[in-house]
Amino acid sequence: MTRTYQTGHPIWCAGCGHFGVQGAILHAMKQTGVELHETLVLAGIGCSGTVQNNIGAYGYHSMHGRVLPTAIGASLANPELTVIASGGDGDGYAIGGGHLMHGLKRNPNLLYVVMNNGIYGLTKGQDSPTKEVPIASPDEDPLDVMMLGLSIQSTTFLARAITTRSDQLNELMVQGLNHAREGKGMAFIEVLSPCVTYNDTYPQWMNKVYDLDGDPEYRNDDRGKAFFDMYQLIQQDRIPIGLVFHGEHASLQSSLLSDLTPHQSLDEQYAARSRQHMKDVLSAYAV
Amino acid sequence: MNIATYDISSMVNKDLLQGEVRDDLTVMVAGQGGDGSLTIIALLSRALLNRGYQIYRTSNIASRIKGGHAAAFMRASVVSRNTVGDAIDILVAFDTEAVQKASAKLAPNSVVIFDSSRESLPPGLVPATALTIPVPFSRLAVRDLRRDLFKNSLGFGLMGRIIGLHDEEVESGLRNHFRKLSSAQFEPNIRALHEGHAFADSAGISGENSILTMPSVENKQERMFISGNHAAAMGFMAAGGRFFAGYPITPATDVMNFLVRHLPEAGGVVMQAEDELAAVNLAIGASLTGVRAMTASSGPGIALMQESIGHCGSAEIPLVIIDCQRAGPSTGMPTKPEQSDINMLTRGGNGDYPHVVLAPGDPEECFYGGVLATSLAYRAQIPVIMALDAVCHDNFTVPHFDLDRVSIDEGKKVTEADLAQMDQYRRYEITEDGISPWAVPGSRAGMNLVTGNERDEWGRVTTVPEMRVRMVKKRSRKIETIRPHLPKGVEWGDSTAPVGIIGVGILGGVIAEAVERLEKQGHQFHCHRPRTLWPVLQDTIDFINSHERVYVVEQSEGAQLAGLLKSEGAQAEKIVSILRYDGLQYTAGEMVEVILEKEQQA
Repeated sequence: MTRTYQTGHPIWCAGCGHFGVQGAILHAMKQTGVELHETLVLAGIGCSGTVQNNIGAYGYHSMHGRVLPTAIGASLANPELTVIASGGDGDGYAIGGGHLMHGLKRNPNLLYVVMNNGIYGLTKGQDSPTKEVPIASPDEDPLDVMMLGLSIQSTTFLARAITTRSDQLNELMVQGLNHAREGKGMAFIEVLSPCVTYNDTYPQWMNKVYDLDGDPEYRNDDRGKAFFDMYQLIQQDRIPIGLVFHGEHASLQSSLLSDLTPHQSLDEQYAARSRQHMKDVLSAYAV
Repeated sequence: MNIATYDISSMVNKDLLQGEVRDDLTVMVAGQGGDGSLTIIALLSRALLNRGYQIYRTSNIASRIKGGHAAAFMRASVVSRNTVGDAIDILVAFDTEAVQKASAKLAPNSVVIFDSSRESLPPGLVPATALTIPVPFSRLAVRDLRRDLFKNSLGFGLMGRIIGLHDEEVESGLRNHFRKLSSAQFEPNIRALHEGHAFADSAGISGENSILTMPSVENKQERMFISGNHAAAMGFMAAGGRFFAGYPITPATDVMNFLVRHLPEAGGVVMQAEDELAAVNLAIGASLTGVRAMTASSGPGIALMQESIGHCGSAEIPLVIIDCQRAGPSTGMPTKPEQSDINMLTRGGNGDYPHVVLAPGDPEECFYGGVLATSLAYRAQIPVIMALDAVCHDNFTVPHFDLDRVSIDEGKKVTEADLAQMDQYRRYEITEDGISPWAVPGSRAGMNLVTGNERDEWGRVTTVPEMRVRMVKKRSRKIETIRPHLPKGVEWGDSTAPVGIIGVGILGGVIAEAVERLEKQGHQFHCHRPRTLWPVLQDTIDFINSHERVYVVEQSEGAQLAGLLKSEGAQAEKIVSILRYDGLQYTAGEMVEVILEKEQQA
């Protein structure tokens, strides 16, 4: 056996929600049977941006805010890979916020897990876009990315979980990973993952969550109704969790890739065909 | 058609119809954006290419879709040239503004064709010795063909007669150019061409009685007519490039346009990103998997990509980047060329990281440079930047690209079979040449961690001082490993001359033409054009230090190239900067003047 890197030990504070998220990712990988070498785990910058070190798969530490474009690039270049992108709420919703809506719009085959703690933990406690009452500007309302996801018509899998309900978290992670691996598009899971050191939201969030999965009236396959119901719940100061939306839409890969899309290297047959193509292209410029 | 209304047979003096032979002709077609100046120049270029001439084609347009002054230029010459001629031999002006802009540059014996539909030409704009032919292009096109736009084909018909092309070759050129148009569009263009011929007849300009003659040039060599952008994109493709992501920006968009058209057919993927940050990181993501990836932008976009380029240098991710430099700073002048990204490209980004910056001088070098950039990036696992200037959008005649000269460098990529033979695999293994074996995701037993944090050989983040130093040195050694493969400067002129001239990119060809003329006047110079901007190569430094004085010609106010060379060992007292930053290209004549002026001051 070729020895590769030894998986790291989490750097998180005791009680940090991120332990549960990492556990759920590992659980889902095990459940789906995906092998470590077929998996690329990308993480952003922040406390959550270390999860890739602890999995044992191929790991990539992206630049701050750029985990989604990088993950999309990788998933297009090698469509056989299982791509798991992860990061925090600052990474994904603030500095990387612009990429989120475009990622959701494109519906690439990958799983994107955001560990939302409402805070910048690694830099010691500044407000993030999901902070309920920002210190610097208390009148700002927190961003609800599930509502954003619902408003983009090509989303196919939107879910929110909380680390204190590990069974639901694990189950959603398995569903999300399957969704991506089956080529159905992007599974976006936001996990409420409290920061015990700078923004201990365990008590509030445990009180506020509302389980959509347990509500027989909630329709996670009806975008319009889901949007309305979610909005009502948010108005009532509740945080909806569970499978928010599930639908069908062509994935980015289905339109962009051909059977010639390269995976690892340019084999001989491929190079020969490519050479003929080059000749044709060159001839158009000949004089 | 009722040409008689516009009978101008008395206008052209028969003495002028001597068919004077030319071997170097500069033509300008100008008007408002949307007038179709580019079309006439494209048609004319094609006709003269078919006659064996070397063509240099450029445009001078405002950054807007329709409207604003737009001019297209073509120079046809027997010898290959990188700039327009000193003077305009033929001007086609669709409005007075076009004549005003061209006025100072008109040759004494120039031919000025002026659209007289709306206004007559104010006196004093055209040299007294020039021949002015007023033609109501617009009126004729609207009256007879119902659309103003057809005036281009009309103009082309007249132009063909003026320079002595056969009517058949002019018509077949037009038919070929518009072959993809619907017949509703195609037929009026042909009729417009005939109207142009009829107009020439009425003026007495015919195949036998043309104003100029451009005889066919013997040219057996297979050639191409292409822009630097297209050539560089082709080089990337030829070297196995299969993923491109970009964001629209003038003048780099053409790279994306080209690849959208051609890369998917080769099995590649092209993505238009939401911004430059996404573009470069999409490419990084593709590259992580071992697929050859590139992005292209211009100054402002490259500035946004700087963090990512440094990240590739640190994390050891191969990436090809094209920078189509334009006049800065900030938004600057999007459609005007400059060479003022040199500081950013060579010194930009946070921290120290290995990278290469190449500066091709013509589309041929853009093609082989694209191949080399891709190979170097994948061999050394570094970012490689191609710094283009006006070469990016201008079209040149170059020798046909030879695919036999292209080989695909797999670098130190390891396969599953290689991995199975290894006791252990470390992504950032410290090696003598600084390059680590590379296992890409999907390979069994090659799992690894890639990060822009400082790390140990396994890819685990570290701040241990000894490891930090070893890793920095490892990355730095990669440049020494590839240094022998970096293109040295091109030298020409009199190697014994005490005075040297340096210029990069498109300026090389301009300097060459200027020095030819200076030699005829008895002034000797030795010339050097660096083709690698970073790392600065010793031959460039030696060139400066071995001459009495060296003119460093560049298109930037900040003397960025001179500054770079000084900081890398060139003797500052020997460098005399010649700077241009008005958004225009030098002609050879202007270059001769400025060099002689500097020589007098020396």
